[in-house]
Amino acid sequence: MTQRIELGQIIDAAPARVVVTRDLAGSPTQAAFDLSGLPRVDSFLVGRPVLEVPKLVERLCGICPVAHHLAGMRALEALAGIDALPPTAVAVRRLLHHAGVIDIHAVGMFSTFRDEALALRRFAKAVMTAAGSPGHFPTTAVPGGVVAPADVTQLDTCHVLLTDAFSAASRIAEQSLALSAPVDRFCGVDLALTGADGRLDLFGNALRAVAADGNPVIAAATAYEWDSLIVETVPGSATPKPYLVALGADAGAYRVGPVAQLRTGQVMTPIAASLQREWRASGAGAAAARAIITVHAIEVIEDLLDSPDLIAGESSVGFPQVLPQQVGVGWVDSARGLLVHRYESDEQGRVRAATILTPTAQNEPWLGELLLQAAGAENNSEVRAGMEEAIREADPCLPCSSAPAGTMDLVVDSVVG
Amino acid sequence: MCIAVPVRILDVDEGKMPMGHVDHDGVSVSCCFAYTPQAQVGHYAIVQNGFAIDVMDAETAAKSLELFAEIAAMNENTELHVNE
Repeated sequence: MTQRIELGQIIDAAPARVVVTRDLAGSPTQAAFDLSGLPRVDSFLVGRPVLEVPKLVERLCGICPVAHHLAGMRALEALAGIDALPPTAVAVRRLLHHAGVIDIHAVGMFSTFRDEALALRRFAKAVMTAAGSPGHFPTTAVPGGVVAPADVTQLDTCHVLLTDAFSAASRIAEQSLALSAPVDRFCGVDLALTGADGRLDLFGNALRAVAADGNPVIAAATAYEWDSLIVETVPGSATPKPYLVALGADAGAYRVGPVAQLRTGQVMTPIAASLQREWRASGAGAAAARAIITVHAIEVIEDLLDSPDLIAGESSVGFPQVLPQQVGVGWVDSARGLLVHRYESDEQGRVRAATILTPTAQNEPWLGELLLQAAGAENNSEVRAGMEEAIREADPCLPCSSAPAGTMDLVVDSVVG
Repeated sequence: MCIAVPVRILDVDEGKMPMGHVDHDGVSVSCCFAYTPQAQVGHYAIVQNGFAIDVMDAETAAKSLELFAEIAAMNENTELHVNE
């Protein structure tokens, strides 16, 4: 089967396409967002040296290169059986990851909060530079650790920019908490990464799943357990419809991203924790959740900036020349949610199979539900407005998500079924 | 998965909302550089929804562009379609 990648869609804003299925009476029964503009690259990776995969994926998916960089390194380390890295490597990677989260969220905030987004961008770039990644594509991590401790001079710049960034994120969070959002009727499970204590950690090693009633479905699973936790209904598809094995295909649909992050685990930094309580009480939506996660990431970075581990210590552990034939899974909780890299290597260290499971692919069922809610509105203008709001809420990694309010190029097709 | 193709910057205005153009496979496409004040003519940009979200030098961009070409060549069943 030929896979077509329409590069032109990535440069020029392609319209968001929604297909609504209606019954004979005209009532919507199903809605689906067209994700064909987001091809899977998994099959491209087969046969390549497995050590090259993180760099390949970073360059293909240049929108979130930091998240792919770190998830890929973790997958390689899982292949090699490396569970623990030196404290300096962990600290520098944490610094990079949280700056990457801020950078991605700032892009989405630009159309509404221009000056604040630029302040966040300046801060995130300074932090990524301090962590060893001055350019668009990260150069911080190597299999088994990082290239070097953080740059002390650049850390001073981060301190200088910190106050402006924090003020900007706080303003956005406070204003976003007052915004209306679609009523959250999602009855699936929320997934996010946590620390061993169950509290939210975007760079955590534990996967936590919480049902709509707040009860944990998975308390703390490791990446080694991935294959027994999540299965794709349509493996390799742009819309794979993954589900939690424990709950089955029908009940196991789940959601990732800022909403899931705030619903899944208690935030461990004080200001964001306070905002999280307000968010949970207010019924605010994903825009506020993104802003609160941004505040959280800044607080994490603020703590890290004073860590002695950041600037001195062993940078990496030895990494084997020959990787065993097995499966390695690495993950991070990125700006848009859980990102998973799963590599299967052969006896020559080449990729036998690879899975890059993105937040956008995982959130497709949730977006479908939001679109279905919107499709039930009384007139066309309300339907379009509701669908635009739904797309912003689920935030698929497509150009349409960052279009200024009211300007989203949206095509809605109706079929009878 | 999102695909990010670097495109060459042809020109950039000044001001709070600087506009400019990028060369997308020989076609000049309008783009806003407000988010990337460091953008320079001759450098490359990653563009989403008409906004340059980051910029890079020609050498870095070339590595990405080579990768897209290499993947297309390696996978006979893959077609990369530009400007359709």
